[in-house]
Amino acid sequence: MLELKDLHGGYGKITILNGVNFVIPKASITTVIGPNGAGKSTVFKAIFGLLNIHSGQVLLDGQDVTRASPAQMIGHGVTYVPQGRNVIPQLSVWHNLELGGITSPDQARVRARMEEVMDQFPMLRQRRNQKAIELSGGQQKQLEIARALLLDPRLILIDEPSIGLSPNLVQEVFATLIRLRDQGVTVLMVEQNAKAALAMSDYGLVLELGQTRMHDRAETLLADPRVGHLFLGGHIEEG
Amino acid sequence: MSQFLQVLLSGLSTGSIYALAAIGFTLVWQAAQTVNFAQGEFVMLPAFFVLIGIHWLHMPLWLALIFGLIVAVIVLGLLFKKLIVEPMLPNGGLPLIIATMALSILLKEGTKQFYGAEAQPYPSLFPQTTLHMDGAVVSVQDLLNLVVSLTIVVALTLFLNRTRTGRCMQATAQNPAVAEILGVNTKRMVLYTFLINAALAALASFLISPVYLAKFSNGETLGLVAFIAAIVGGFNQIRGALAGGLLIGVLDNLTATYVTTEYRAALPLVLLIVIILWRPQGLLGTSEGRKV
Repeated sequence: MLELKDLHGGYGKITILNGVNFVIPKASITTVIGPNGAGKSTVFKAIFGLLNIHSGQVLLDGQDVTRASPAQMIGHGVTYVPQGRNVIPQLSVWHNLELGGITSPDQARVRARMEEVMDQFPMLRQRRNQKAIELSGGQQKQLEIARALLLDPRLILIDEPSIGLSPNLVQEVFATLIRLRDQGVTVLMVEQNAKAALAMSDYGLVLELGQTRMHDRAETLLADPRVGHLFLGGHIEEG
Repeated sequence: MSQFLQVLLSGLSTGSIYALAAIGFTLVWQAAQTVNFAQGEFVMLPAFFVLIGIHWLHMPLWLALIFGLIVAVIVLGLLFKKLIVEPMLPNGGLPLIIATMALSILLKEGTKQFYGAEAQPYPSLFPQTTLHMDGAVVSVQDLLNLVVSLTIVVALTLFLNRTRTGRCMQATAQNPAVAEILGVNTKRMVLYTFLINAALAALASFLISPVYLAKFSNGETLGLVAFIAAIVGGFNQIRGALAGGLLIGVLDNLTATYVTTEYRAALPLVLLIVIILWRPQGLLGTSEGRKV
């Protein structure tokens, strides 16, 4: 579904990604893990057209989408939920949601989808006229995920969805991602809470120093002592 | 009482024009996180574009106004953004602020060289008649200036809040990184902001010039008062800029009439100091966090 071939890229002339390779299948959840500075969030930005790609390829269902702009990626059915707070603070919940479909030529369809998405996230319906800044951190994250679903994406890139959320809300967010996977959406996630994320994922991907170090089924990675070592801040030994 | 009403209306009229210029400060701040210190000259210059239309191109007033508006939008909106803001902004806000100060001098001195240092008569847009209301004599020009300015502010607010383009502009101003991720054409939205700022400055120019006449140095006072109005009202809110403009216009007139004309120019500065000490975010502004 999504394939990265020897991707090199970074910010201006600074190289962060030094050869990222992976293939993730359709309707699966893949968690990207790795130490700080491994390039996890940078990979997402590279895929979504927010970063200079120096070389390599990004393929989506075989189609080359390397260096496509964010608007083009949305057109290809890809949405991105970055880490941190990503709402438009002074706009209402409803208008924040509406922005998720701003690139669509079919605004009637967007309206219908907004109603459907609010059925999935009833809190949003209750607070539709409130300013987004007035929502709690967890509610803002739900709004961001709902907004990302508006155009029926086939791939969601979600970066650190659990940051700032209570354990209950983290479980809710994970349950939402599993539900999306079951509906045929492909999910690529970076998550600080790596063990919990791998436990609900189909595949795992270990990045270190901007390179793919391991890529396997999530349960295999969970059982691998080298990954455990990595979680404690160590490095993966070659071989 | 009748005199008070007269002074109040006249103050609201001038204040509403200050508000148009002050909103420009707010818009540019939101779009580029910088202060345009040439804003006063942006209000001074379009009046001269109209005079060029009338005197050099022999246009009737209505056509000269359209000509002035179009030239202002191109020169003070499009070219300002492309030639000054875009090249300077990557170097940070401060170099851009200094560049706008230099632009202010260039526009002022350029106008003086081109059109002379004397104040130029400027045609009135509205009838020079008066109305008698409750014993007060009210200038029709003041009244219509107020109505037109407020209509422009209301139209702008409706555009920003009720249209998708307006909400995309707000999204770009409030969180450009997220707006881009959502597929908003942020560059275009920023351009729209600069074009609207230029149009507002031009409209303020057309309304105030019959009162102040067209003079190369008009921007000094207008720019300063509008800047103070934006800070007093709240630099990051359009309604704040409106409130600040109206407040300064009214207080200025009331002071001149009931206290002293000698120190009227000091009043906005005193108000500025009080507001900065008491409520730094302005009367209707909101505090903004900034990462350093």
